[in-house]
Amino acid sequence: MDTTTMLLELSRQTGTPGQEGDAVSYAQKLLDTYGETALTPLGSLICTVRPATPGGPHILLDAHIDQVGMVVTFIEEDGFLRVANCGGIDRRVLPASPVVIHGAKGKLCGVVASTPPHLSSGEGKTTPVDELCVDVGLRGEEAKKAVRPGDRVTLYSHARPLLGGQVSGSAMDDRAGCVAILKALEYLEGYRPECGLSVLLSTMEEVGGQGARTAAFALRPTLAIAVDVSFAHTPDAPRAKCGVLGDGPMVGVAPILSSRLSRKLGEIAESEDIPCQWEVMAGATSTNADSIAVAGEGVEAGLLSVPLKYMHTAIETVSLADVENTGKLIAAAIRWLGRKGA
Amino acid sequence: MTGIIQNLETLCGIPGVSGDEQRIRGEIRRQIDPLCTRCHTDPLGNLIAFKKGGKTPKNKLLFSAHMDEIGFIITFVEDSGLLRFAAVGGIDSRVVIGKGVEVGDARVGGVIGSKAVHMQKESERETAPKLEELFIDIGATSREAALEAVRPGDRAVFHSPFLRLGGDRLAGRAFDDRAGCAVLISLLEQELPYDCYFAFTVQEETGCVGAKTAAFTVAPDISVAVETTTASDIAGTDNHKVVCALEGGPVLSFMDKGTVYDTGLYRLALSVAGECDIPVQSKLGVYGGNDSRSLQTAGAGSRAMAISLPCRYIHSPTNVLHQSDLLYMAKLLGHLIPALAQA
Repeated sequence: MDTTTMLLELSRQTGTPGQEGDAVSYAQKLLDTYGETALTPLGSLICTVRPATPGGPHILLDAHIDQVGMVVTFIEEDGFLRVANCGGIDRRVLPASPVVIHGAKGKLCGVVASTPPHLSSGEGKTTPVDELCVDVGLRGEEAKKAVRPGDRVTLYSHARPLLGGQVSGSAMDDRAGCVAILKALEYLEGYRPECGLSVLLSTMEEVGGQGARTAAFALRPTLAIAVDVSFAHTPDAPRAKCGVLGDGPMVGVAPILSSRLSRKLGEIAESEDIPCQWEVMAGATSTNADSIAVAGEGVEAGLLSVPLKYMHTAIETVSLADVENTGKLIAAAIRWLGRKGA
Repeated sequence: MTGIIQNLETLCGIPGVSGDEQRIRGEIRRQIDPLCTRCHTDPLGNLIAFKKGGKTPKNKLLFSAHMDEIGFIITFVEDSGLLRFAAVGGIDSRVVIGKGVEVGDARVGGVIGSKAVHMQKESERETAPKLEELFIDIGATSREAALEAVRPGDRAVFHSPFLRLGGDRLAGRAFDDRAGCAVLISLLEQELPYDCYFAFTVQEETGCVGAKTAAFTVAPDISVAVETTTASDIAGTDNHKVVCALEGGPVLSFMDKGTVYDTGLYRLALSVAGECDIPVQSKLGVYGGNDSRSLQTAGAGSRAMAISLPCRYIHSPTNVLHQSDLLYMAKLLGHLIPALAQA
């Protein structure tokens, strides 16, 4: 499957925090060819590419499979739904957005109500999420039959290619990371690392990283690379806090991360002629790398991020070249780390 | 009658921002050419049709719906390849951010975003950016690359799905006023009891421009704007500000920000609806406006009336209307023709 198709298809699967089933099932089919797959108690997907020998070196590749969404908290008498964020959707994008409600009995389309002009206070004030309502077209009793509190709501995804090899849609955070790992496995086809190698597509990153924390404890890796997305620069953002879309994977440098591994990833990129850029953070990384690093007795952790514009919206945009180069860098790192026994 | 719904989907699938209506006009003309007696496009781009009916009416009747829709116009291409734009028609900046768009005749995909929520200050989260601060990103990374795909002056529309919600409601782009166009086309599909004129107008959203010349050309005695209007029947709205509600039937106007309507015709429409058992509602609030302001005052003037579909989230990427209102609208207009012809 080519990278565009894989990314578009995977991003169209639903996987809100705690309800990642659809996305996990789709990813499981893609991972099955690389090794035995299993689910953790928290729903994360593990693929054992090469089993680790007890006490031996064991590399873990992680990307989170969940996406930001909302959760239904209350159904009004007139059928409108009240919602809360399930992950940090940018509230400014919500008014007049088409959404999908994922109920026990199937999907339902809706729209986040926007305030009519004659009722709006002017001055462009945005509405907090808990004051917004979702219109599913149903009256109170019908709505209560079709929708339950706890049902998840996602922004309707228009995943599609843009110009310049860019792809835009919902859930690119972090399906782009998932695809980078899948591409790495594809690039590694035929290579057998001398150490253990596991892939983790983890749940609940957007609500605290519970999926990766517990899976990392269970897997007990000796080295891990978390693959996530990070800020690509747009003219309204501080340049120093952003990477550049198209300039390759962002190699994380932070106190919580292994300095040796960060440096090594940069060296490998250079020697393999893979474009990359540095992302320097002053403490934690706000990714799964933070919890994996302190799982069990501790794990040497690295972080690679795919630059992404418009994070936590339905128009998250990444460059396919960045996704593929991230995959190439992961593959090159596995070859090097696998040879050296991590 | 389900033909109206299908046709609404067809018409909403074609971009037609004010001043750039040729594609939507082409589709409507293709549909109505075989249905009307004669039809022409005027210098501004209005499509004006005449259909011979059973009799010549005492009053010359003009039914009008606008073809154009709100959207954006590309004003400048940055060196970075990002596109600056302005709103064409009234668009609340709060519904713009985070949405996809289609730019120009080639419908080039683009998105309107901003820096990540993580990097926004609290004050920035509380306020929607002004349109002039925003840009359309089509993925081009240089001015040259962008100009291969788009040009300043190109129009853009929201990239919106046409969705079926629960309870026979529809969601999509440009219901204002493709819904009116779909209703007029359904009238043209019928044998009419009296001669009628139909105008599919341009540039309503930028000042009711097209209707001025269309009404001058037709010189009707009675002009009927067939429109959509804001329904505020959403959770938490005070009753006196609801204005009109979905499933309440077509909306009859006595006054809005642009027009004081002919009282006799307003009352006539109410009584015709009552006799025919068609639910209708009055527009309960003086808000908005439509082509009636131009239809009423063109040439020597005409008696004006407006019938609108209640529509939620108008001028946003996702409008919502109820199928029953659309069908009642078509039915009411059918019954109004003989009444207005002799009024």
